[in-house]
Amino acid sequence: MSSQNGTAGKGAPAQSELFFGHKACAGCGGSLAVRAALNELGPHAVCALPAGCMSAVGFNFPQLCFANNAIITPFAATAAVLSGIEAGLRAQGVKPDDCTVVGFAGDGGTADIGLQALSGAIDRNDDVLYICYDNEAYMNTGIQKSSLTPFGAKTTTTPAGAHAPGCLTSKKPLFEIVAAHGIPYAATASVGYLPDFVRKVRKAAGIRGTKYIHVMAPCPTGWGCDVDETVELARDVVDCGLWYLAEYEGPAVSGEPGGRFKVSRKPRQLGRVRDYLRRQKRFSALSDDDIAAVEAARDAKWQQIEAWG
Amino acid sequence: MIEVLWHGRGGQGAFTAARLLGAAAMEAGLHALAFPSFGPERRGAPMRAFTKVGQAPIGDRSASSQADYVVYLDDTLFGPGWEAELKPGGRVLLNTTRAFDDPRILAFDADGLSAAVLGRPIPNTALLGALARIEPSVSLDDIGAAVRSSMASRLHEPNCTVAAQAYQTADSLLAAKGVAGDPIAAAAGAAGAQGMEGAAAADASRAESPAASPAVRPADVVRAEAHIPRLRSQFAHAPSLDPADYARSTCFAAGHLVTKNAGWRSQRPVVDEAACTACGQCVQYCPDGTIFLKSRRVGSAKPAAALAQPDFDFCKGCGICAKMCRFGAIAMVPEVESLATPAGPSVPAPESEVSA
Repeated sequence: MSSQNGTAGKGAPAQSELFFGHKACAGCGGSLAVRAALNELGPHAVCALPAGCMSAVGFNFPQLCFANNAIITPFAATAAVLSGIEAGLRAQGVKPDDCTVVGFAGDGGTADIGLQALSGAIDRNDDVLYICYDNEAYMNTGIQKSSLTPFGAKTTTTPAGAHAPGCLTSKKPLFEIVAAHGIPYAATASVGYLPDFVRKVRKAAGIRGTKYIHVMAPCPTGWGCDVDETVELARDVVDCGLWYLAEYEGPAVSGEPGGRFKVSRKPRQLGRVRDYLRRQKRFSALSDDDIAAVEAARDAKWQQIEAWG
Repeated sequence: MIEVLWHGRGGQGAFTAARLLGAAAMEAGLHALAFPSFGPERRGAPMRAFTKVGQAPIGDRSASSQADYVVYLDDTLFGPGWEAELKPGGRVLLNTTRAFDDPRILAFDADGLSAAVLGRPIPNTALLGALARIEPSVSLDDIGAAVRSSMASRLHEPNCTVAAQAYQTADSLLAAKGVAGDPIAAAAGAAGAQGMEGAAAADASRAESPAASPAVRPADVVRAEAHIPRLRSQFAHAPSLDPADYARSTCFAAGHLVTKNAGWRSQRPVVDEAACTACGQCVQYCPDGTIFLKSRRVGSAKPAAALAQPDFDFCKGCGICAKMCRFGAIAMVPEVESLATPAGPSVPAPESEVSA
């Protein structure tokens, strides 16, 4: 491998890296998610990425940062392209046993723009893995609100001002929406807890049918934190309960009608929401009342999550 | 036409500086263009910005390959080939703590100066202040007016202070270099057409200067050689569609890893060999996959080499590895310190910390 590389002759750290030399910001959570997932899936994985940071920073002709096969899709079509790649490989009889057809789309490309294609793929139960790296806004185009932007986050389309602290809506419950399809496997994860994420990627790769993993991936540029805080924040958001690590196994996998939810990590005591929020400039306009509202919404969500068992 | 080429990193304010200079020139009654140039690279990556100032409206919106002033907001971006970007008689403004003898280079610690006033090292308005000292068509007052018209009001006073202090710093540096007789100062307050006459006078003085560079190489030629990789298609005919083959066909061989991400960092991880236990946390959590285990611990004997080793061709210096290390074995060291004591090609010797 390294013999083909122009500059990586020495030591070849890229030997095992499949997403390398990309142009993401320093400390990018999304690139950490893609890198970790691909290293688990191996060089026979075939990637599809819609418009978004990871395609913008990964495909800079002539520097292509994927060592495996990868393609850029129309914005709305990630899951549809995944379906087509998988069917095409199979029809030609060239799909290796360890080939996972995997998509990496951002929160906007998943929860807003690509939602119908994702829903369609789950409906057909195509054998693809869809990974949503959630940095909670359209970061590639300069931080605009998506339907996965949390309450109170300042973006360019939800500015903080005298009458509003930022985003007025809450995160769309996408994990539950996907699970409601009866998908074989769905999971939430965070780049702060990589072993958990990698385990879920491995598990998904071993299941036939449509799989969905939603991984929290902080963006220092959009969140307003230091570039070395990415992983800490991705842990904090789980520890304070504003994000949760869980799995859903559909009826086909769990054998239970309606499928089964399972929490992967139950924090003994949820951390302080305030500490997590105050570390980020995007939440700087939140008042104490706003933070109390965020905390109340978190507690309500956890009542639901704890019922999953 | 005066052309200014700004070298900075995404997020450092180079484009803001380019725009402020254009606004200042318009305050002086001139015409100006300011625009950035960057690819899909993100915050922290080297980028360029341009300002063009003239008496008539400027139609050429293309990037300048050579400029009257080349400004470096980051010391680490200043490297071999800098002369090729200067027009004859052109000058370099450099934010650095290093000293330079070359009369074409005006070097001062814009980070330190701005940090003392703003609380954070944001060097752009300091460099603008220094530029106002050496470019006669734009005065310090014009810079101040541009700051007031373009920045948030709470930033006016501190940035004007930074610019004024940098102006004085540049003034004393020029005096120390023995160019106090330069006609620049006389023209500094002039506006409009007068300013352009001043510029012409300065051009004349530059032409007389022994520092003028006789050899001019187009910068683009140099850059093209360095940046365009060779295409190495393995296939005379259509490649196999088997992903196992295709992954190593043109799409892989043509582009993967052909250009470095070097020049991205302002600080670099330095691994303390004695403290590293090769636990691999840094390897796992690096967003770029640029830190790897060089050799594993065998039995109880410690290998001589550092166990975790960064690849400085691609490391962006984010510092997540240092945060993830439970043993405090990774320190983030400013890149300028490691530049001052050039170590081996990849791993700086631990001594470099001491000697820097």
